[in-house]
Amino acid sequence: MSKAFHEIRDPIHVFLHLDSYERRVLDSRPFQRLRQITQLGLTYLLYPGATHKRFEHSLGVMELAGRVFDVVTDPKNLTDEVRDLLPELQNPNALTYWKSVLRMAALCHDVGHLPFSHAAESELLPNGWSHERLSRTLIESDEMRAIWKSLAPPLEVEHVVKLALGLRKAKDLTFGRWEDILSQIIVGDSFGVDRIDYLLRDSHHTGVAYGRFDHYKLIDELRILPTFDGSTEVALGINQGGIHSAEALALARYYMFSQVYYHPIRLIYDRHLQDFLASWLAENTLLSEGTFSIDPERHLQITDDEVNAAMRVAAATPSRAGHDAARRILTHSHFKVLYERNPQDAKVNFDPGRAIAEAAQLEFGSGFIRYSKPRLTSGVPDFPVSTRDQRIEAAISVSEMLSKLQPTSIDYVFIHPDLRDKAKVWLDRNRDKVLTAAQRQEDEQHERQPKNSAVDTTRP
Amino acid sequence: MNDSQRIALLILLDREMLLSGSWCGETHLQKATFLLQDMTGVDLGFDFVLYRHGPFSFELRDQLSTTVASELLTLQVKQLGYGPAYVPTTFSETFLQRFPKTTARYIEQIKFISAELGDMNVGALEKLATAFFITEHGTGEGLRTRADQLVEIKPHISRHDAIKACEDVDHMIERAADFRVEGGSSTFSE
Repeated sequence: MSKAFHEIRDPIHVFLHLDSYERRVLDSRPFQRLRQITQLGLTYLLYPGATHKRFEHSLGVMELAGRVFDVVTDPKNLTDEVRDLLPELQNPNALTYWKSVLRMAALCHDVGHLPFSHAAESELLPNGWSHERLSRTLIESDEMRAIWKSLAPPLEVEHVVKLALGLRKAKDLTFGRWEDILSQIIVGDSFGVDRIDYLLRDSHHTGVAYGRFDHYKLIDELRILPTFDGSTEVALGINQGGIHSAEALALARYYMFSQVYYHPIRLIYDRHLQDFLASWLAENTLLSEGTFSIDPERHLQITDDEVNAAMRVAAATPSRAGHDAARRILTHSHFKVLYERNPQDAKVNFDPGRAIAEAAQLEFGSGFIRYSKPRLTSGVPDFPVSTRDQRIEAAISVSEMLSKLQPTSIDYVFIHPDLRDKAKVWLDRNRDKVLTAAQRQEDEQHERQPKNSAVDTTRP
Repeated sequence: MNDSQRIALLILLDREMLLSGSWCGETHLQKATFLLQDMTGVDLGFDFVLYRHGPFSFELRDQLSTTVASELLTLQVKQLGYGPAYVPTTFSETFLQRFPKTTARYIEQIKFISAELGDMNVGALEKLATAFFITEHGTGEGLRTRADQLVEIKPHISRHDAIKACEDVDHMIERAADFRVEGGSSTFSE
């Protein structure tokens, strides 16, 4: 007779617990594929320990989601106001059902990731597609629907999708307050367990200790709270007693972004990988035109393993597509930093990295310059805090530290190693001129435009 | 419209809202931007869905973070019990000078929205902006049908208040007609 409950050892959470239903998802093809998707792409070239996979991260997210659910739905942690706003909290059957949905959604939230995770997502998926949308496609696939249907009670596929993606990535769906708060447990900007797990796990595997924080205390102090006193909206917030652990989480995120995720060498390896993948995908007739396939079956066939094998062949064969990029990755001969954004330059030119990159491309040739501008390191901290005298305050009103921790823009320009010295001399001589002229030109150009256009959401 | 122009208009809106007496927290700016875009037709390109206190744009939230990161707006805690306010920095004045045509083109729309919303709190903004969202996207056109939809979406709003909010929106739409940008993005037709 098969076991009803399973335990998996884990370096971060010690034991991960699964029931036999969750085991069915674990054993499914979309989930097993995550064993071959590195969590941090090519970061292991910089931090050799960073070879961990989306597989164990997803299990960790499930474990933490269950823990947070138990804390925030515990009757002793609820106020009458919150009970009135969320009737599900007083329905034991609903709580059992939704905890199951939450853990399943946590388990599946990353199944749509491409090889090497985020490295190529924005450039190499068809317009309008993201790994979240691919995750949704897989959660809604016949293979996964059969699992949702086989459970007791069966799970609504739309519920799993909503909690796995959140409203931001599933705008076509209507979220109730309850569904919104549960999705915040997984993907929320402030206390999402996706974030909590990846910071702890990435910190552990990279050996960068800045990512650690007291997540036990943090989770213990999480509460469902009104967004402000008297508000009818609720959000995942924290007791004032946990504010230092929330600060530690924000700092961990800040340091992990500056030390690991947006480390310039990691960013340039991502750009070389994008170059390789673009050439490889364009050449490979099995895949759609120059992008990764969004067909679920094809998606399941492509992992880091297939890309690594192709990269190895290309690196050894000058005539193969993507040869130069593959060789740079495998021989560690990446482009070098020519320019890094700084606040002074940003006051002269709103997008200084782009201005320098475009001028450098004209000067040295586009093949020798690469530009990288990742997303902001963080948003503005935004969560309610329940004070010791039972008031609700905004996080940055309560925490001096959070009020000082502002989002930061980062961008880098990279150059072929052989040209770096020459380019540095050129940059020293021309930096001010380039930044000023580019800004003036851009302002004049856009001021001339009589008509608006939509937000460019494709920009990294 | 590029990022810089969009940010210039957000700074201008923030400045005018503050001058009109608004608290200028995120919710105030979310609702003001929504009405500026969809009621007066200034095509900022933000996608609004019903979320926190009515129409809400995740892209606008990101844009506000970018603006803070660029030291053009800063968050200020004015008083306990209230959320932080977005306040333009000194540098934002220099930044705005780069866009004389863009700011001149839309200043009347921004002043109109600021004057209309400046003294509203979050609760009032939620009612008005959600009522307009329903007017724009809802299934029924009649006042009572829209009020019913508003109560369905926001059960804490009484039917009486919902009817009043829909009436207020209708009057505001009439006043906004003088400020509408030709060829704007709104799906709403007066």
